[in-house]
Amino acid sequence: MTDQLDEALAREYEAGFVSDIESRTFAPGLDESVVRRISAMKDEPQWMLDWRLKAFALWQKMPEPDWAHIKYEKIDFQSIAYYSAPKSMDERPKSLDEVDPELLRTYEKLGIPLIEQQQLAGIAVDVVFDSVSVVTTFREKLKEQGVIFCPISDAIKEHPELVKKYLGTVVSQKDNFFAALNCAVFTDGSFVYIPKGKRCPMELSTYFRINELNTGQFERTLIIADEGSHVSYLEGCTAPQRDENQLHAAVVELICLDDAEIKYSTVQNWYPGDENGKGGIYNFVTKRGICHTNAKISWTQVETGSAVTWKYPSCILKGDNSIGEFYSVALTRGAQQADTGTKMIHLGKNTRSTIISKGISAGKSNNTYRGLVHMGKGASGARNFTQCDSLLIGDKCGAHTFPYVESRNPTAIVEHEATTSKVSDDQMFLCRQRGLDPEKAVSMIVNGFCKEVFKELPMEFAVEAGKLLEISLEGSVG
Amino acid sequence: MSNWLAETIHQAEKIDDWLSPKRAQSLSLLKSTAWPTRQTEAWKYTPINVIERAVFKSANDPQIQAEQNSCSKIPNLQAIDLIFVDGIFDRSASTQLLPEGLTISSLSEGADLSWALSSFNQTKPKHHFFGLINDTLATQGCIIDVAEDQCIDQPIRIAQSFSLDSQSHTRILVRLGKRAKVTVIEQLQGDQLSFNTSFAEYQIADHAYLEHYRLAMQCEQAISVGGCHFHLGTSSQLNSNLIGFGSQLSRVDMDIIHTGEHSNAKANVIYLLDGKEVFDLHSAIEHTVANGVSEQNIRCIVADRANAIFNGRIHIHRNAQKILAAMNNRNLLLSDNAQINTKPELEIYADDVRCAHSATIAEIDDEAMFYLQSRGVNRGDAQVLLSFGFINELVDQMNNAAIAQWLRPILRQRFANMEIR
Amino acid sequence: MLKINNLHVNVANNDIIKGLTLSIKPGEVHAIMGPNGAGKSTLGYALTGRDGYQVTQGSATLNGTDLLDLEVEDRAAAGLFLAFQYPVEIPGVSNMEFLKVSVDSQRKARGLETLSSSDFLKRAKAACKQVNLPLAFLKRGVNEGFSGGEKKRNEIMQMILLEPVLSILDESDSGLDIDALKIVAEGINSQRDGQRSFIVITHYQRLLDYIKPDFVHVLADGKIIKSGGPELALELEAQGYAWLESYDRNAQEASA
Repeated sequence: MTDQLDEALAREYEAGFVSDIESRTFAPGLDESVVRRISAMKDEPQWMLDWRLKAFALWQKMPEPDWAHIKYEKIDFQSIAYYSAPKSMDERPKSLDEVDPELLRTYEKLGIPLIEQQQLAGIAVDVVFDSVSVVTTFREKLKEQGVIFCPISDAIKEHPELVKKYLGTVVSQKDNFFAALNCAVFTDGSFVYIPKGKRCPMELSTYFRINELNTGQFERTLIIADEGSHVSYLEGCTAPQRDENQLHAAVVELICLDDAEIKYSTVQNWYPGDENGKGGIYNFVTKRGICHTNAKISWTQVETGSAVTWKYPSCILKGDNSIGEFYSVALTRGAQQADTGTKMIHLGKNTRSTIISKGISAGKSNNTYRGLVHMGKGASGARNFTQCDSLLIGDKCGAHTFPYVESRNPTAIVEHEATTSKVSDDQMFLCRQRGLDPEKAVSMIVNGFCKEVFKELPMEFAVEAGKLLEISLEGSVG
Repeated sequence: MSNWLAETIHQAEKIDDWLSPKRAQSLSLLKSTAWPTRQTEAWKYTPINVIERAVFKSANDPQIQAEQNSCSKIPNLQAIDLIFVDGIFDRSASTQLLPEGLTISSLSEGADLSWALSSFNQTKPKHHFFGLINDTLATQGCIIDVAEDQCIDQPIRIAQSFSLDSQSHTRILVRLGKRAKVTVIEQLQGDQLSFNTSFAEYQIADHAYLEHYRLAMQCEQAISVGGCHFHLGTSSQLNSNLIGFGSQLSRVDMDIIHTGEHSNAKANVIYLLDGKEVFDLHSAIEHTVANGVSEQNIRCIVADRANAIFNGRIHIHRNAQKILAAMNNRNLLLSDNAQINTKPELEIYADDVRCAHSATIAEIDDEAMFYLQSRGVNRGDAQVLLSFGFINELVDQMNNAAIAQWLRPILRQRFANMEIR
Repeated sequence: MLKINNLHVNVANNDIIKGLTLSIKPGEVHAIMGPNGAGKSTLGYALTGRDGYQVTQGSATLNGTDLLDLEVEDRAAAGLFLAFQYPVEIPGVSNMEFLKVSVDSQRKARGLETLSSSDFLKRAKAACKQVNLPLAFLKRGVNEGFSGGEKKRNEIMQMILLEPVLSILDESDSGLDIDALKIVAEGINSQRDGQRSFIVITHYQRLLDYIKPDFVHVLADGKIIKSGGPELALELEAQGYAWLESYDRNAQEASA
């Protein structure tokens, strides 16, 4: 069964094509001058450059972390190009008509039409291609409502007061090695501000694409939900099929002020590398949000791509009665490795958190849940519930769980459960007896296994995630 | 390198006995091992700096008053006693007459036992920092051999007590032959400032059965770092019970290695911590072959400013199919200044296994509390009753009635004295 | 003995009992019947003082003592007993230990001497036999692994040992077969001595075949909407609770 499984798993990565777009790319290498050049390319104010340089100095002194359950060849930070943008973007296009048609075709192929009329109504998209934001749809329409949705490079210039106030406040520059690097060299990403009491009228989303060879993508996202506001944000990501590993080191910060709510969903489908682990994206991402009083942050992620994933979308539950949620499906196959999970830091009274993690391992992959639930001294009456389930498909993979639970308050309640199982023969027999072929049966069982998480995704994404899982599992049984 | 470690290495280099070839390996490892810090994952929550701060004397030091062993007697146990005072074997206080099929030697006289030499350090993980120290310094201890097919009815009690300022390192090697059956009790007591490492290695051959108790009941100022490590053969069985009282620092590592199929291990652990006590259990269940069963129940009550640490790992090796492994960790945190740090880990490389762990930290169940109060019991009494019930459930599961009977009032008293909030 | 006047109870921001008045004299047995969700169990919890059952209005006194002012255990010591619908399991605490502590606490609170161990054991064994539970149940964890029927009988055993003046039996008949039902009913009847009183909460008339109530009350939507003698229970049995809705609606319209 295992051989057939491996063979069948060698399926096409549908987003693996390369777009033939002429780009302006920095020569590989990283020193202070590169940081200065990125800042200059973006025409940034002095305070931003200073901030980057400070981060760069910190990063140079930090060691690369090695505690995660992942193995990869050490990254040569001098062989990466830190900036790449299509030449056609030298002058930022003013409307979609001015965007390079090849770029538009790229996104059409990926199933993301950029022409507003063709889009699903109600979704605004920021499109990031390598190091730049190509276009942000519905920007003006949102502005009418007071909602700011733009590339972060624009926000630095147009809304410096907001960026200055919040950038680096949730993930500090020295938080970790990859975050520090991002602070120094980030190129683009999305910026969102929802004004007080406003319910964002559409779903906001960012689509990330790495295209250029040997280029790292360092995106930065900052979302601020002012008091009593509400926003749902989604992100998707793909990259071409290449034999070389590429680094994606993003930082996402969410600021959720009193009574606000942020729902952040990710469908991550970076190129995972081939069956033997050649190529693929190193996805080293720091995502964290802070909840003020009565605020709520909900992270939902479907992770199917990347050669190596290292990411822990987290919540600091600072305000009383605030809520953090983490719903995750991580599927690894081939030689993929994922070390992912969350941190729920309970500081305020009556804070609540829920963690539902579903890991599916197939092929020769290793899938790790790593999480921290911390109940601080002030977290009276706080509650956490964690459930981590792993499903193993085949006998060459691994599934691991490393939950840290720390409590400093006698009235806080923590419940953690973890189970490991396989697709049972009985389940398979039942499905097949009812007429399903084995692949359909597995896909159905796995979908059922992930249901608790999928139901948290916005509708369009739930469908996409289900499909993605189905493709990923194609031929996973012999 | 710290002065403490330099002195330890200096001491170790002077030792020359039958275990020297083994000690040499550990000594060279120790020299290349850094003193653990809070950044070292295995010692993340453990305050080991207290060891460096204190000055200890070995038991041979004339300033140490080698008193009598001060471990409590366990009524009705009728055990074969092996008595140690400050790490030194007290032959006269120990049982002399042994039943047939049981051989016990002092570690210092093990030179003729080739099995002992070859099994030394085979079960204990090689890189445990204080394990290495014990490897190099433990010249005292005992070697217990239960012959094939022998069922030893009398339990063996290894009682160690420690006096003020003493430093000691003991090693226990136990071999159960095929189909053998025995009960071994490791009892450690003493509340004065002292430092000891005590590691025990058990080889349980095919179809053999070990009933094991480690009564890690040193408290207050004592510093104790040790471990019990089990090697399970085909169809063998282990039933282990660990009682942990915290002290300035108490750390136990428990490794259960299933090397034969159809082996079955159960470990129940009770922690009861008060004051500023620390108790740290690191357990690892290694299923290296198929068809094994393991079950762990860890119950923990923490009061005042105490710190309870648990790291429990279940590791299912590649191709170790059809494993049933369960770990259940439940904690009661009774005070604003106490802390619980727990990390139940799963590391699984085989698909046809059923593994589960759970960890909860909670106050006493509201429903049970209301039930008792509605019967007229006041809140304080109900708390004692329920908390004691929470650990008594594991005492009830002990096969040795004498130990269970002896423990119940001790645990109850200790709990009743605890500082609640 | 028990006087409840215009009681209002709020649970999780919902008003469950909305003005209940009830008076019980020594020796009386009152049955409270009503559809699911009427607030029957809430009444028991509110009187015994369970957390989360907030009395927002009204009063409840037992022999002149204001119950609502007391801690849970003090209400028990005052002579109030609740036989739970779903008794909780407490592993590790033996039934015997639990009973002894309960009896000791209550006797102490009432100013009585505590029983000697042998005295207590005699009584516990007798009570255990009376409800037809094997003596081994005294040694087992409280309700641990007991069947539904065994749990109910264990509740009655506690009632016998604790000698309350007012017992509230919350659906003590649910989930019982006919034999178990008889045992439970006999246990209750054995305690009727003309002094002790009972509130029997039940959904079905069946239990009342064995425990003859002096009064029957129908509780719906947090209020007693009808009271009568034993014949009311039979009426309910014949007609079901559906007619209550129209009754309730009419009553509301009438009051509007």
